[in-house]
Amino acid sequence: MKFLRVDMNGQSVRVEEVPQEYAGLGGRGLTSILINHEVPATCDPLGPENKLIFAPGILSGTPLVNTSRLSVGAKSPLTGTIKESNAGGTVAAALGKLGIAAIIVEDQAPKGKLFNLIIDKNGDASLEPADAYQGMRTYALVEKLLGRYGEKNGVLCIGPAGEYQLGSASIQTSDVDGRPCRAAGRGGLGAVMGAKGLKGIVISQQGKSPDAIVDPDAFKNAAKVFAKAVKDNPFTGKMLGSLGTAGLVAAVNSLGAFPSYNATKGVFDGWEKISGEALAETIQQRGGKTTHLGCSQCIIHCSNEYVDKDGKYMTASLEYETIWAMGGMTGIDDLDMIARLDFLADDIGLDTMNTGVAIAVAMDAGYKKYDDGQAAIEMMEEIAKGSEIGKLLGNGPEAVGKHFNHHRIPVVKGQSNSAYDPRAMQGNGVNYATCPMGADHTAGNLVGAYLSKALNPLDAEGQVEASRNSQIAMASLDCTGLCLLAGGVLAVPEVRDALPQMLNAKSGSQLGPDDYQAMGIRVLKAEREFNRKAGFTNKDDRLARFFYEEPLPPHNKVFVVSDEELDSTFDF
Amino acid sequence: MKVRVKLFGTLPQRYSEYDPEYGLEVEIPDGAKVKDLLAHLELSSSDGGVVAIDNLVVNTEEKLKEGASVRIFQHAFGG
Ligand code: SF4
Repeated sequence: MKFLRVDMNGQSVRVEEVPQEYAGLGGRGLTSILINHEVPATCDPLGPENKLIFAPGILSGTPLVNTSRLSVGAKSPLTGTIKESNAGGTVAAALGKLGIAAIIVEDQAPKGKLFNLIIDKNGDASLEPADAYQGMRTYALVEKLLGRYGEKNGVLCIGPAGEYQLGSASIQTSDVDGRPCRAAGRGGLGAVMGAKGLKGIVISQQGKSPDAIVDPDAFKNAAKVFAKAVKDNPFTGKMLGSLGTAGLVAAVNSLGAFPSYNATKGVFDGWEKISGEALAETIQQRGGKTTHLGCSQCIIHCSNEYVDKDGKYMTASLEYETIWAMGGMTGIDDLDMIARLDFLADDIGLDTMNTGVAIAVAMDAGYKKYDDGQAAIEMMEEIAKGSEIGKLLGNGPEAVGKHFNHHRIPVVKGQSNSAYDPRAMQGNGVNYATCPMGADHTAGNLVGAYLSKALNPLDAEGQVEASRNSQIAMASLDCTGLCLLAGGVLAVPEVRDALPQMLNAKSGSQLGPDDYQAMGIRVLKAEREFNRKAGFTNKDDRLARFFYEEPLPPHNKVFVVSDEELDSTFDF
Repeated sequence: MKVRVKLFGTLPQRYSEYDPEYGLEVEIPDGAKVKDLLAHLELSSSDGGVVAIDNLVVNTEEKLKEGASVRIFQHAFGG
């Protein structure tokens, strides 16, 4: 396996064998440990010292199902912390098949210059001028790039938001159909890519030099156990394929934990109009696709293709968190409007969550009314134009809240919370507060524990321990390249051992379940160390004040986990 | 007694008489528990059904009340 080091200043690419100290790492483990070693923690995230790293998981590029998840890492301009943002699509599998463990983008292109990085089927990489693509939105860009370099490529790219270096700028990536509808959305990594002068990366899907699997039979056997468990599980085998993650709208509203109207209510008035059931029915009636292959080698198909009344494409991969941020938070109970906002976010290159919440904060502050879909669309267009208000909105909820002098800003370390309110799912509040990346549901979502009644969502008891375990499990999983939705089946005892078995069969290592867990702890420690060096302390591991003061209906609870308990989350 | 059941996810497809607006009205013996309702609906643990009443997940031993509004959705572990 090799690293590609891309020098944006000199426009050269250097290939190096993966150094021994990084052997056996992949995905988030690789991005976070590399950043902690190589990036000065106090550097300007948008300056030349920051590095932008793309790493497929350890198992990406193998025949295992659901392994095309890519980790993108850097110091985040949104949070100031270390960041790993995870994206699906085709690129992780493509990189794995090329034998590329990481692309490390260093330094910056001369001011005003833009480049594309092209990686061909032999893994040869070069930078090509991309000035002609300046300002281009992602759908048009990807069409041009695939037209020029061929359909059998995956693309990573930024839109106007990334070029403006905004705090909510995403890195969009193409799905199996070549549409840039999947995103490394969180943490403003699109801004880092923009600051580097990198508009797009085109990666051949025809690589034929993946890392050899040391014990193919053992790998195949464990992979079969895993795939069967994914198929047999009612959530991954049935519900996700029919409703997508939007199936959670009903569940989370039924538990009073769906933050609505900028987190002032836990049940959204119009939730049945924007639920997974309503989404599936609308798509079906109009002839869209409720089940859709989003990422390479996926057997779950949580993605969808949303069409308008005339059956014309509106967006793809419309998912729970987006429906929440662009719908529940803004009071918009119209799926067509939400689909349009989702498309615009992908096209402009914005995190749907951070942007939806920014719009919600602006509405809460009185800038526009809730449920005004047209106003939300206009706000998105302002971001695309780069106007003054647009830049404010594109920099996220904190920038907006500060501008309007508004106190209710649901963020941790500048990054928006997700679609589970901490007052009605206390452990998810622990995750948001303590996650080294700022508020991030993917770092250790406990919704499954609440639905199975393993944990009382409203009490402080047990939340920190559950969050700790979940954050460790996710940090390990994020190293593998496995989709977290598929990773959920690892809770099944017979399946649990299949993952270390596959890792061992792939690389000839001797990992047991404890070693697998130790990998997650190592990653979290590196991330925490980076944040400490960057100046973060326990005092930063807190939710916004209003979560402690304003009870959330219908449970009318506030966040009750004490600061001391929060500070014990990483006692390992 | 009667309880009103709303089903979510892929569960509604299993009942031809299911009305998405109203749900299902189910007649069960007085004092019936959640598990009796699940049995009546022929839902087994492999269906991954989660039962919620009044914004809380309830366990299968919980007694149902006349006129209760019951939601049953499918287990999920992330989104
Ligand atoms: S379940 Fe969804 S996110 Fe996960 S790999 Fe499949 S399409 Fe991608």
